[in-house]
Amino acid sequence: MSVIDSAKSMARTDVCMIVEGTYPFVAGGVSSWVHDIVQGLPELTFDMVNIGSHPGSYGEPRFQLGPNVRSLSVLFCRENDSTQPLRGPARTALARRIRAIRRRPLDEVPSRTLRGIRRLHLDDTVDDELIADLGSGDLDIASFLYGRASFEVLLEINQRLAPSTSFLDLFWHFRAMHVPLLRLLAAPAPPAACYHAVSTGYAGLLGAVWSQASGRPFLVTEHGIYAREREMELARAEWIRDDGEDDGLAGWAPAPSALRQLWSRMFRKLSRIAYHQAARIVTLSEANRQKEIIDGAPADKIKIVPNGVRLAPVAATVGLGGSGAGSDQEPTAAVRPLRVGFVGRVVPIKDVVTFIKGCDLALRRTPLDVRIIGPDAEDPEYATRCRALVETLGRQDSVRFVGPQPPAQIYGDLDVVVLTSFSEGQPLVILEAYAAGIPVIATDVGACREMIEGRSGEDRQLGASGVVTRVAVPQDTAAALVRLAADAGLRRQLGEAGRQRVRAYYQRGDMLDSYRAIYEKEARS
Amino acid sequence: MIDRGSLAGTVGAYLTGVAVTSAPWLLTTAVLASLRLVARLGGATDFVQTERIITLVYALTVVLSAPVHVVVSRTIADRLYEGRLDQIAAPLWRAVVLTVLGFLILGAGLMRILGVSLEVGVAGTILTVVVGTQWLLLSVGGGLSSPTVVLAAFCLGAPLSIVAALAGSHLLGLGALGYLYGYAAGQLVTVALLLHGVAVALPAEVDEEARLTPAFAEYWLLALSSLVYYLSIWTDKIVVWAVRGRAAAELYSGLSAIAWFSVIPAFGWIYVNVETAFYRRFRSLYGALEAGAPLSKLTEGATQLAAESSRILRGAAQIQLAGTVIVILGAPPIVRLAGMPPELIWPFRLVTIGAAIQVLALLEILLLYYFDLRREALLISLVLLGGEAVFMTLAQGLGLSPAVGFPVACACAALTGLALVRSRLRTLLADTFQSQPFGAAT
Repeated sequence: MSVIDSAKSMARTDVCMIVEGTYPFVAGGVSSWVHDIVQGLPELTFDMVNIGSHPGSYGEPRFQLGPNVRSLSVLFCRENDSTQPLRGPARTALARRIRAIRRRPLDEVPSRTLRGIRRLHLDDTVDDELIADLGSGDLDIASFLYGRASFEVLLEINQRLAPSTSFLDLFWHFRAMHVPLLRLLAAPAPPAACYHAVSTGYAGLLGAVWSQASGRPFLVTEHGIYAREREMELARAEWIRDDGEDDGLAGWAPAPSALRQLWSRMFRKLSRIAYHQAARIVTLSEANRQKEIIDGAPADKIKIVPNGVRLAPVAATVGLGGSGAGSDQEPTAAVRPLRVGFVGRVVPIKDVVTFIKGCDLALRRTPLDVRIIGPDAEDPEYATRCRALVETLGRQDSVRFVGPQPPAQIYGDLDVVVLTSFSEGQPLVILEAYAAGIPVIATDVGACREMIEGRSGEDRQLGASGVVTRVAVPQDTAAALVRLAADAGLRRQLGEAGRQRVRAYYQRGDMLDSYRAIYEKEARS
Repeated sequence: MIDRGSLAGTVGAYLTGVAVTSAPWLLTTAVLASLRLVARLGGATDFVQTERIITLVYALTVVLSAPVHVVVSRTIADRLYEGRLDQIAAPLWRAVVLTVLGFLILGAGLMRILGVSLEVGVAGTILTVVVGTQWLLLSVGGGLSSPTVVLAAFCLGAPLSIVAALAGSHLLGLGALGYLYGYAAGQLVTVALLLHGVAVALPAEVDEEARLTPAFAEYWLLALSSLVYYLSIWTDKIVVWAVRGRAAAELYSGLSAIAWFSVIPAFGWIYVNVETAFYRRFRSLYGALEAGAPLSKLTEGATQLAAESSRILRGAAQIQLAGTVIVILGAPPIVRLAGMPPELIWPFRLVTIGAAIQVLALLEILLLYYFDLRREALLISLVLLGGEAVFMTLAQGLGLSPAVGFPVACACAALTGLALVRSRLRTLLADTFQSQPFGAAT
């Protein structure tokens, strides 16, 4: 555990908030949300636990921690990012350690942690015992890597789940799956009145284990559905070799390979562990709630708390009925192209490629001024690919990467906001656009549809505040852009509906009140 | 040759095995024996000194060059396997230079300790350098170049050594000094031929920055194991010298040299089978592993490899048994022909039995090297070394011939090796995966 600031963490805090790869080091919707919660509830104290990839993977914090944040701890899944083999005395010492471990007889009473790891893959149930086993702390990483008992578990998993998979691949994936778990589970739990994981996965597991060990309540907030997002990533992951890849038949495989399924199963199990231990599961939308129920979350634990934004400041900055909504003073589309913004990180899950392709198709019919607004350092390879696509399409003059900008500067200069994500929770970007009176074109993921078309009957009466498109269909995005470019009245109408929707259902104050009530109930219990 | 499927091909393969494994030391032994004969016929006391110098030079170089040539050979093998051919030449030439310099110092030191004259000392030092370099090049050359290069070098160098030694001592009238220089000159021809063969076989690409030192840090266990094993070759002679005196040690040494001829067929058989059937199984298993084979295939491959190991051990034991039985039955005439007293018939038989058992221990060490089990290989060598010291001294203490302790020590080493090979083969797959200190997070 790397404690950045532990000076104030001796006493129990109100909330230990566990995040994975986000706040305060990475900009984005979830980080902004966490920042809002922490800032908006100054009467509560927080310990922040961030789970990162490896030391050095983060830069400087992107958010200023408030005075009610008593500590920030960073736990890393990996010790380092080095792929260099050990040499010299370090290698000799490790070899000696390995020999000592491998000389140990198989324990009559196997490690509880190892039993838990086995159950992650080979047993479909989730119960208190599983969480207690995983949190028992009786298996160090070296014993897992080199111990005979763990190899027996690997053999059983191989036999039952992946008999035709490359054993070499399975061996390394088995290690890659569980070493982060063991490393994280070895971290001591900060004393807190309640534990709050802002996702399932590793954060959810840690929260569940700490909650059970301390007897304090556990909350889970899911923005996107973690296990499903991981599945989408796994489906595209090039670091997993599919069965038959070497014989050129992998592309014909009708189902994900055993290795992909193994990872997927583990992430689903981690979600179920979090759901099982959680006293309350908070999600952003009805769509997500339904998915969580399908994935094993008890319906009675789930509460929907939509994201919220501050309406007044953003609206004041942009100005009601301003250029974003297509005012009477604005130049017509014939003289000024439609200003289109993609606001978000340039990462695969946002499917920026589809956005660029959609803009390219629309540009064939109408002039556009397209900005991709957001950081691109998280996945430089993907960002390079996106830039290359813009160049290949010859759209450098119309599509610009402008980098991250503060919200107040973004929306005053846009006519339409577009999201083409593969997965979303309840995007803050949409709410910010609405607050500025800007219509949105978004893919049918997460809460996007209900944010655009309305969640309840009353909400739907406000009318649509944008256009819903299919995932990874640039033609849909292009058609919506062309339609909105041609009809300033429609843009104004959609933008107005969005503003009213935010005012009615997505106010930051409402969100904070909901969390205040949840914390009051759980943390003060 | 074996793949041709003909009797001639098979016989040729086994004869090649015999030649590669035994020819260098057979030729060297023959040269040394002939020189002793000539020296004794000469009758001069300085020939006794010459014989002692040659024996000590061989003992010193065999033992001290072992850790170097085993590490250099292993490093070159690794670079060949990795395809990093440019990393071979520079470290090898550095090793050759270090060997020359090292044995120059050691040779000079040895001559100083022996208190010989300057002329003899210079000759002895040159011989130390030449023989020491020869062992390194023999080991490396055997792997890098064709076996014929090694055979040609020894087949030409050995007779030349005799001829040059005789010419130096008798034709030039230099006596024992001429012997030493002549012998060293003949061995120098072997070294030159080996150097040429190795140089020709070296890859053209050269990375001058490639270093040798890290290999010694990496393979120190291999070096130690090799050092201990080669020490054990001399330990029995040293024990006899210590408990029975120099004359007995000379007789024992002669017995031992003859007894070791009985292992030649088994050496040939082992060479051929390890390099063919066993190697194929070995590559098949690890090739499948790297290619992404499922566990069932790997388990099958490991089982076959274990079976192959057992077959080779059994086969070597059977062939050696036949050779040993023949030598034991023929011990009386062999001892008589060697000009030794009849009371040495039983010690000769015991040493023959010990040599036979040591062949198995050596094979076990070889198999363990294949699986990179250096610590286990070292353990066998240590048991052999310690066993010789303990059991031979014990036998003397019990009023028996020290030779009684030799087969006991060899048996201890062979049984230890057998247990290690069996136990490691049982857990081969798990060990292959889990015992690698890759630097994974701990």
